[in-house]
Amino acid sequence: MVGALALCAALGCGRPAPPPPRFLQVDIENSPTSTDPRFATDAISSRINELVFDSLVRVDRHGRFVGQLAESFERPDETHIVFHLKRGIRFSNGREMTARDVKYTYDTTINPSSMSPKRGGFAELKSIEAPDDRTIVMTTYRPYAPAMEMAMLEIVEEGTPLPRKSAAPAPAGTGPFRMVRYARDDSAWLERNPYRPFAPDAPMGIVFKIVPDPTVRALELAEGICDLAENNIEPEVLPYLISVPDLEVNESSGTTYQYLGLNFRNPLLRDPRIRRAIAYAIDRKAIAASYLRGTARVASGMLAPENWAYDGKVATYDYDPERARRLLEEAGFHADARGRRDIRFVYKTTPEGGRLAETIQAMLLRVGIEVEIRSNEWATFYGDIQKGNFDLMSSRWIGINDPNHYYLVFDSSMTPPRGLNRGAYSNPEMDSLLEQGATTIDPEQRRRIYARVQELAAEDLPYISLWWIQNVVVMNRAVRNFTPYPNGSLRSLAEVKLADDRARGTSR
Amino acid sequence: MIRYFLRRLGALVPVAIGVATLTFAMIHLVPGDPVVAMLGETAAPADIAEMRTRLGLDRPIAEQYTAFLTGLLKGDLGESISYRKSVSSLIAERFPATIELTMAGMLVGVLIAFPLGIVSGMKPGGAADVGAMGFAILGISIPHIYLGPLLMIVFSLDLRWLPLTGRGGLSHLVLPALTLGTALAAVIARMLRQSLISVRDSDYMRTAVSKGMSPAAALIRHGLRNAMTSVVTLLGLQTGALLTGALITEVIFSWPGIGRLLIGAIGARDYPLVEGCVLTFALTYVVVNMATDLLYAIVDPRVRLE
Repeated sequence: MVGALALCAALGCGRPAPPPPRFLQVDIENSPTSTDPRFATDAISSRINELVFDSLVRVDRHGRFVGQLAESFERPDETHIVFHLKRGIRFSNGREMTARDVKYTYDTTINPSSMSPKRGGFAELKSIEAPDDRTIVMTTYRPYAPAMEMAMLEIVEEGTPLPRKSAAPAPAGTGPFRMVRYARDDSAWLERNPYRPFAPDAPMGIVFKIVPDPTVRALELAEGICDLAENNIEPEVLPYLISVPDLEVNESSGTTYQYLGLNFRNPLLRDPRIRRAIAYAIDRKAIAASYLRGTARVASGMLAPENWAYDGKVATYDYDPERARRLLEEAGFHADARGRRDIRFVYKTTPEGGRLAETIQAMLLRVGIEVEIRSNEWATFYGDIQKGNFDLMSSRWIGINDPNHYYLVFDSSMTPPRGLNRGAYSNPEMDSLLEQGATTIDPEQRRRIYARVQELAAEDLPYISLWWIQNVVVMNRAVRNFTPYPNGSLRSLAEVKLADDRARGTSR
Repeated sequence: MIRYFLRRLGALVPVAIGVATLTFAMIHLVPGDPVVAMLGETAAPADIAEMRTRLGLDRPIAEQYTAFLTGLLKGDLGESISYRKSVSSLIAERFPATIELTMAGMLVGVLIAFPLGIVSGMKPGGAADVGAMGFAILGISIPHIYLGPLLMIVFSLDLRWLPLTGRGGLSHLVLPALTLGTALAAVIARMLRQSLISVRDSDYMRTAVSKGMSPAAALIRHGLRNAMTSVVTLLGLQTGALLTGALITEVIFSWPGIGRLLIGAIGARDYPLVEGCVLTFALTYVVVNMATDLLYAIVDPRVRLE
């Protein structure tokens, strides 16, 4: 058998053709759901679309809005935002971008016939107007603080039809790259936008290769086939990849938030003593250090320290099993001879979250709480949590930017299907704060409101905060200048440089 | 033979309807919603309702089933919810890759199994037998998800002979086929060994040897032909295992076949695509087994198909 394989290699069955010289290969775990920014909602589509399209504004590394297509912007009153567009920006087909393109993109997205999954995000947008070629006026129905988030829709050219087939390459954009090929479940090829300047030692293009198996992604990195992978390498293979001389592992603060959600429909979980007991019983530091091999920071709430509205002065529930036992005793749940109490919860998770679930199960058992884990593939898990069919569940939020996210997940009116308050948490003070937070424009006032929101969320514990997951980028040393964004954006790929040997493709 | 063939072909229709019905019931019973998967968590309820109507998901389940079955009988598998393309065209795009992998897996299985089975069957209990059967047990025991990366490490990473992933030339096929075919090789080798041992002491074998043929030649010329019937049966039955093995192998090797299509479709609750893929797998299995029956008549003249 080995002889046959050697023969095959010797006869030139051939190694795969690498991407062309000066192309980067980035491995991703699954296909983008849409290459049209008016429809794409998943993280992978966003990562690619950010390189092909521009939006009026973007979030910088500190979570602040900065102009991208907009030269400047202002809020003349509480319901209007005016954007002044840059001149000379061209789509990858050479046409100059104007305010008409911006208006067209918004109109076609918001139009009910588009059936875009992004429509829900524009519920507060009353109108978008283009009084001239360089100005866009956005009007909201009421004073709406997170309105700037609506300015992050990526812009397509006027007349771009709505996508009929999800596997079509992306339409023309004004971003640093253009998509030249897309084969679902295989790869997406980007080439430089000829109308955007770039450094001579910058890559000419990027191949996003879809590699669903995590071990194979690690092997492709080690082999030098893949140049970069972000947040999709399992922590246990990192020590191996660190030992590969050609590779560099870069860890930086990330904002992805992992939590344990509690269902307030369960009468036991309505008792704050039981919720706090669970929080005290979980040794988050130990899990982050061992299971996650240090690739996470223990979280105090949904907003990471990088967010402008972050407030860390909240109850943090450091590991204290003794205190957890005392709280359970106070709640009337006494331990039997084996240390068990008459409390049993169903913990819903996906197969990927199975090990974390088992760790938490073991920790809760130490204080006498029994947990039954039910692990299902994602769609079933998701169906269950949407229906409120769980006691405990673990999930994560990726890319939280505006603190108004609290409204979607903790406002009492936002239980599914309307919103994301899956645990049916309800507190009138929280509702009132979240309403104020959404309609107060002054940033300093908003910061104070959300400081109290964070404090209240930590007291009430609709979520037990686990950790913020670090951004882990594994890349070939030939790739220079890559600086990760806390939200996992890959925009920096437009500015990377390639070492000379890699540029000529000799390192493969 | 032709009558037999037509009768078996006719039996495909109820099998297809049965499989289609079971798949329809199962995918609709499990929790999860294709519309939410499409429109996202924050979609407006009105949009969700509108999309349900567009996709026909607001109709009573019996009506959806009747429409699905009527389409199926006309050869129309419907349109994929997530790809917005006809299911038939998606399957036509991906099926060759899966068939290529499955056939290669079968070929690898047979190529490894025959020498092992013959060596073992010729001298049971000998060193070669022990070694070959040890290999067979190892082959059955190693799951694809482990064997695939192991082969990659050795042949792609260390020896740098073969590519890691993807579909391309022959070189791309070698490692996925080995991953898929090893377990099959192990099963066939054991079966072949057993068959050869059982025919070794037969009268016709003794006669062949007494006429001057060497025991080894008699075993290969006469014994092997008799053992073939059971091997062919096993190959047909193992098609199912190969096809399900291809699901995992396709994911490991980023092989663009129906397996990956099906796994994605289940995640997205893409009902028409799941139904189309499962039906394709089921019909492939039935057709291969029908072909196996026809092969009996060729390998064993005593068998008549009526």
